[in-house]
Amino acid sequence: MVVCIMTFPNTGYPAMDPFMPATVFMMQDTSTVDSTAMAPADSGWVTSDFIPINPERLSLSPVVSLQQALKNEVSGLYVQETTGEPGTVQNMFVRGISMPLISPRETYQTQPLIVLDGIPLVAEHPFAYDIKLFDYNRIGPATNLLANIDMNNIESVQVLKDPVDVASYGPYAVNGVIVLQSKKAQKETRINVDSYIGLAQRPYVTTINGAFENAFRRQFYDRYTATGSYSPDDVYPLYLSDSLNMDYYGPSNWTDSYYRNGLNHSITADIAGGIQLANFRFSAGKLSNQGIADDTRLDRYSAMFNLYMRPLKWLGFTAMINGNRLIRDRNRTLRDRFGEMGYLPELQSPLAPNNSVYSQYLSQFEKGFDNNATNSVQGYANLDFTFSSLTVSSKLSVDYNEGHRDIFYPRSLMDEVNFASNYYGYNQRLIFDNSVRFDWRINERHSLLLRGGGILNWDTYKYNYAYGYRGINDFIKLNLIEADRNNSNFLNPSGFARQLVYKFLDRTRQNLVSFYGKADYSFQNQYFVSLLLRTDGSSNAQPTNRWFFSPGLSFRWDLKNSVFTEATTLSAFNFRLGAARTGRIYAFDNFSQGPQYTSDITYSGNITVPGYNAFAVLSRPYNFGWVGYGIPWAYADRLNAGIDLGLWNDRLNIALDGYIRDDKDQLIGIPSYAEYGYSQSYEHGMNVRNVGLDVTVAASVLKPTDPKKLAWTSAINLSFNQNRLQALPRGIDQLVIGDRLLKVGERIDRYWLLLNEGIYAADEDVPQVNGVRRTFNGITLRAGDPIWHDTNGDEIITDEDRVLTGNAIPKIVGGFDNQFQFENWTLGANFHFQLGRKLLNQQMASRFDFVNREGGTSIDAVKEITYWEKHGDYDQYPLYNPWSTVIPYRVEQDLFLEDGAFLKLRSVTLGYDLSDWFGKRVKSAQRLYLYGSVFNVFTISSFSGGDPELAGYTGYYSGYGMTIPRTFTLGVKLGL
Amino acid sequence: MIKSRFFKRFVAALLLVPAILVHQGCKKMLDINSSRTVGEENMWNSMEDTRAALMGIYGLVRAALVDNNAFWIYGDVRAGEFVSPSRPDLRAVIANDLTSSYTTIEALSNWRRFYAAINAANIFLERVAEVREKDRRYTENNMTVDIAQARFLRAFCYFYMVRIWGDVPLIIHSHDGKFENKRRENQDKILAWAEEELLAAAADLPFRYSVNDEQQLGNYYNEDASKWNGTLARKLSAYGVLAHLAAWQRDYPGVATYTDFILKNFIRAANNYISTSHLTDANGFFYGKLNNQLLGFPFEWENAEQSFAGHLEELTLAAPIINKSTPDIYLPKDSILSIFNEAKDERFSLDTLGYPSNERYFTNFNGKYPIFSKIKCIMEGSITDANFRTYSSTVVFTRLEDLTLLRAEALAVLGDRNGAVENLNVIRDLRGMEPYDEELSGSLLEAIFRERQRELMGEGHRWYDLVRYHRIKRNDPEFRQLIDEGGIYWPLSKTLLAQNPLLEQTEYWRK
Repeated sequence: MVVCIMTFPNTGYPAMDPFMPATVFMMQDTSTVDSTAMAPADSGWVTSDFIPINPERLSLSPVVSLQQALKNEVSGLYVQETTGEPGTVQNMFVRGISMPLISPRETYQTQPLIVLDGIPLVAEHPFAYDIKLFDYNRIGPATNLLANIDMNNIESVQVLKDPVDVASYGPYAVNGVIVLQSKKAQKETRINVDSYIGLAQRPYVTTINGAFENAFRRQFYDRYTATGSYSPDDVYPLYLSDSLNMDYYGPSNWTDSYYRNGLNHSITADIAGGIQLANFRFSAGKLSNQGIADDTRLDRYSAMFNLYMRPLKWLGFTAMINGNRLIRDRNRTLRDRFGEMGYLPELQSPLAPNNSVYSQYLSQFEKGFDNNATNSVQGYANLDFTFSSLTVSSKLSVDYNEGHRDIFYPRSLMDEVNFASNYYGYNQRLIFDNSVRFDWRINERHSLLLRGGGILNWDTYKYNYAYGYRGINDFIKLNLIEADRNNSNFLNPSGFARQLVYKFLDRTRQNLVSFYGKADYSFQNQYFVSLLLRTDGSSNAQPTNRWFFSPGLSFRWDLKNSVFTEATTLSAFNFRLGAARTGRIYAFDNFSQGPQYTSDITYSGNITVPGYNAFAVLSRPYNFGWVGYGIPWAYADRLNAGIDLGLWNDRLNIALDGYIRDDKDQLIGIPSYAEYGYSQSYEHGMNVRNVGLDVTVAASVLKPTDPKKLAWTSAINLSFNQNRLQALPRGIDQLVIGDRLLKVGERIDRYWLLLNEGIYAADEDVPQVNGVRRTFNGITLRAGDPIWHDTNGDEIITDEDRVLTGNAIPKIVGGFDNQFQFENWTLGANFHFQLGRKLLNQQMASRFDFVNREGGTSIDAVKEITYWEKHGDYDQYPLYNPWSTVIPYRVEQDLFLEDGAFLKLRSVTLGYDLSDWFGKRVKSAQRLYLYGSVFNVFTISSFSGGDPELAGYTGYYSGYGMTIPRTFTLGVKLGL
Repeated sequence: MIKSRFFKRFVAALLLVPAILVHQGCKKMLDINSSRTVGEENMWNSMEDTRAALMGIYGLVRAALVDNNAFWIYGDVRAGEFVSPSRPDLRAVIANDLTSSYTTIEALSNWRRFYAAINAANIFLERVAEVREKDRRYTENNMTVDIAQARFLRAFCYFYMVRIWGDVPLIIHSHDGKFENKRRENQDKILAWAEEELLAAAADLPFRYSVNDEQQLGNYYNEDASKWNGTLARKLSAYGVLAHLAAWQRDYPGVATYTDFILKNFIRAANNYISTSHLTDANGFFYGKLNNQLLGFPFEWENAEQSFAGHLEELTLAAPIINKSTPDIYLPKDSILSIFNEAKDERFSLDTLGYPSNERYFTNFNGKYPIFSKIKCIMEGSITDANFRTYSSTVVFTRLEDLTLLRAEALAVLGDRNGAVENLNVIRDLRGMEPYDEELSGSLLEAIFRERQRELMGEGHRWYDLVRYHRIKRNDPEFRQLIDEGGIYWPLSKTLLAQNPLLEQTEYWRK
């Protein structure tokens, strides 16, 4: 490694550093450096990547996204994989959540920054949620943008822990940073081919039909009704009332059309070569991943190019370009389709569980289409001018991704009205980064590295979106417009009713200007200090608070080199301490405006009212909320203390990092000023603290000197995390937002639930005070209603009696990896676990609350085909009176709270190295490695439903997540 | 050496570039106007701003009225005559269980949306003069009419809220950025203030827009009369609301005065009585904007303002009219027959063989659910292609027939029996019925309220009619208790009580 860097002083890891992507200096190449050889070296001198991640091993997994690849590989990172549908958006959280996750908007604002070769990647903007009634999906392809990383192209992955390292990336890094380095250009000609084919196994599920559901409901009727009908107006659903109806009462074999065995394959080929002063690496790949359900699929076509040139001794040029095209076949759930259409057709009868009926329904989709494509390109060009110890660089980086989604649903899918929608949107980031670097080796004992520069950053987010209903027939599937200028209908839709075509244009920009200076100082290679001073100006900050200053200071003490030089068992010992501040940019530019006017005359069920009497309107943003003046920057203060310990010549390596992260002065909407029309008032002052410990232990359990004997390495990573709400604006103590209670001193991901203590068998059992029976929100409790605990002892049940309990974000996340090597055989087993989390089983709550979820035209009443799948333990719930107006089966009670902890054997891989054999036969051969793996082998949990991992960011288990499949793969890695 | 000199220059240039950018470009780069909202400095500059703001108030009033179908749930469903087969929340409203924990009921107990319209009107009244100064196209007359409309809409909202919640906070300034919590104000005070406001507005409002009315000269906002028909508040809209306001206060002489003005002037306002078929046609009275909608808030199909939510049709229609098996609410057969108990009624009556003579008010009368189909503006008002449930019906607060019957009610209470009968007969005649006969139709007051029930069914009047009726009669102990204890009002939602500690829950619901 070190040799490589010496040979190509400017190609090593040029883009690793956000400031200065030119020369790489290894400060010292003794002791610890060997063990960090994989680590990007130039973050700072305090950085730690003591136990690095091995991207090579990650490339063996049949996964498509960065989130999946990193899920159980590194401490400090928590990944939510809430569905097995390939290519969907997944959330990542580095060292906890910085704000309460109330809607998808917050999940967008809490994602870590991904840096690829020094380019801070642009993420999707949540503003597209503003125009949709249901926020299950972002409009457009909603493809995971981080499916654009092919692990075969990645040299190193690092989740930054040192506060100064994090802060160096500026405000984008406020939620943490994951740094990726691509494999670099090389002098020697190399060709690699990596490929696998795989099979995702169809899951086996227990299906039910109308008879089961009927029997389930009958027990309530038998218990609570005399005549088989709770009230004269109560209607027993038609699809259950006729037991001769074979669609519902016949065989429940819809799974034959819904589930399948999915085929996966991937092939990546790369070539690298050139001469010492000019070389390149080019890689191209194709990946295809079929989901096991609902005809879902993701295809990826990727290409990556790295170039390095040093035409003159003082001039260097590096460039990288990474391009991907992602094509996704999405699920066909009713919920997602209705969400897209913004329209709920008649829902009285659900999809029939009988395959003949279901497949007939599915065939309707063939008359339409749902095309999702995402193109993504990121690249940079960097020039550096080196003159002795001084280097000046100038770097231009671009990250651009665009999504297209074109939909046509034929008439037969929706109340005899067809639907077309077209989306085009892009996210774009342009960065112009100039920096100066001065490397001053004062003498043997002192070294100083000074860096400084300015970064200009332009972000633009845009979409064009239109949808229309009631096209003239099912053959015209595009939303055509009249193109003839002379026609009076010029630019009006011609294929769809003009009045039923809805068009949306939106664009938002965010510019950032940053200046920084950073000094790294080392004394005798024993003490290292980094100082960062940075100031950022954001266009989303209010003009009076435009600039934000953020300092950082880190310190590393190499105890092995200074104190324990003689200790032979000790191979490495570092102590690290750092603190830094990072600004947080407001995602929405509304906040930069102060009091404002917008078009906001919407109401429930219609959130895109165009105007009044065909005039555009302006009013205060009453539904959005009041925004005043004087909103400062929110920011995060990080403190990190860590120890790296290597024992017995690095046979046992331990990295410990304790952290405190305070996210301060954040904005939150406080329900206020209803008498002035506002739904809420955005105010600053919400502080959230995350405290945690990241532990990584890597051990060579068996490290024989004889390579023919069994070797065993074992690594465990653990992330402990606790969050706490430290303060709310105005000094208030608690805040109710929807079904959540935020309380100072409590976690921000707590559930707020009624405590269930059984059932009132008779009216007389309900406690009475002065002859008045106990009420729930003013409704008298009766026989068949739940006994909810009267927490505050005021003899009535209200929201006051709900308690904060459980938490959605796990307290402990970890991975446990074992690699065995025996002669040419390798065997790996990789576990993933999440502990200390609860989830709310909404799926079962909805089952039991059938009275309120039948008929009508509410999205809650939607029953997917998976309604006919049996989940959960029906016996653990009391039989309440489902007609009671207290809604006995409301999900917000601890009756539905379950332990969400689990352990997964995520992969087992068996490989055989044929390099020797291959080398003997082919002259240029470098490597031949064959492997087979089983991915997602089993899950152990006490959860009564399906896979507890599939619960979303709110911790509600809705049952919508598609099973993560068990996948068998066979692969080869070939090097020439 | 050459290299080095070049290099130094280059470095200098490279350092200079960002330096220049810092001084000149930074501000420009960071001062970008949002393309999503309008900042304070870009508002209140031109007459386009006042137009947008004024239309915004109308839009907000419309939103307040139709949010969660409030207009009909307050006005029709709560009266308890409709039955809901499939919606537990509506059943709770029908049973007067207004503290049940349904999201609809919680939303309907929240007055925020009305206050949004009020706040928009307050801001408008405070800021409109700035536009008069800045934009010379914005005439004094235009401003006067605009102000009158803003005052009208604000007073209308207060009147509407008093009917729902009784005492409410009276806020007549925007308090922009310096919001303070307020107590509930005595409803009589609010209504007295609202009456003054409405009278002041009425004085400045024209009978129609863009027809050279003496109050409004020339084309209003450069648009001709066809653009404004029925959409804006006019002089008679103000008198219509005044009449209702007076009736709610049992000020029947006031009702008589205000309705008298309307009945004397409706021709000037291009209003007239409407036929039964026009009333019930899919593209009839409730479709689009019409002068006859004395105060209406349209969702015009031609302007693509139709919507899925916020219409009576959402509650009442079902198969066979649209593809929905069960209506959210329906009127059972027995109720229909007891309400429409007179022959020859063009709205609904049975013929000699006992069959409905038409399907204007009720479709599928003999089915399990008779569908209340008086209002059925589906898309462009066609019911032949009615599978797509998007509706374009206008929310009509009042119309001439309503005010005529209100006058009859007032005259009956005041003892002018002939006058009352005369007004009642105008409507009976309009609907094809014989003149009022006490033998057949019962006492005069009963007959008037029964006629109101038939004529205005589904137009958000019934509950308030019941309250007025029982205030006069006081013969139903249950209803009397409701009236006396404040049970005719809606409770305040938890959200409201939580954010404003000065608010107290309505006595009746404080259990």
